[in-house]
Amino acid sequence: MGTQLSDIPQGILQAELGAGRVSINLDAEVYPLQALYGASYIFIDRCYVFIDRPDDKVFRVTLSAKDAAPEAEALRALVGEFANELLSCAWRHQITQDNRTIIETVTMQAIAGAMGEPSLDDLASFDFSDEAFDDPLGIAQSWEDKHGKKVQKQDEPEASNEGAAS
Amino acid sequence: MSAQTLRFDKQVYAGEALDEAVKAFSNFAAFELKQEDDAWVVELISKSPQMADRLRNEFCNYALGLTIQRGGAS
Repeated sequence: MGTQLSDIPQGILQAELGAGRVSINLDAEVYPLQALYGASYIFIDRCYVFIDRPDDKVFRVTLSAKDAAPEAEALRALVGEFANELLSCAWRHQITQDNRTIIETVTMQAIAGAMGEPSLDDLASFDFSDEAFDDPLGIAQSWEDKHGKKVQKQDEPEASNEGAAS
Repeated sequence: MSAQTLRFDKQVYAGEALDEAVKAFSNFAAFELKQEDDAWVVELISKSPQMADRLRNEFCNYALGLTIQRGGAS
């Protein structure tokens, strides 16, 4: 027969004090399985953890105390700490998902850097004809190229020199 | 001898982890493995009735730990 522990919303948690066991129902959309794994792994040395899926949208986590007969307060503390850890794992999982592209890019660059300098064969086969990068604003141009004196083209007649000669 | 039937959801527990757990606990209990559409079913027959509950819990913990170490069920 289940008992209700104080401070825990009804329907989420069932406690069996006699058996030293407490079950929590978790929304699978709020808490991903990876987060559940993370929190469970931290707790398997403190208590027995069993994960079940009563339906597709719910995970049921059962925590059983390793002690013979824990008090209600001890069970409440256990489930509270588990819930906190679960929330932390879920949030870290979300951050990892959000930053996945950045993490992969940085890791790739680090691995590429660790591969060392390119060999002569690599350089020989390197295609230098490609543009290094797009530069629509001309940021990579030198100051002379952008603002320096314009060099006269050879095809243009040198009007001033011709005038002086005549 | 006391028999207990445990159902492990296939989306949560890795089958290989359960196989490994069965191997690790084979000195303490006899096991019979079955498969359903959505669950691995393990029948655990403890050699010591006094230790049956503890054995079941330790087995579940061990299987979950191995599953997580493998990176999950899939």
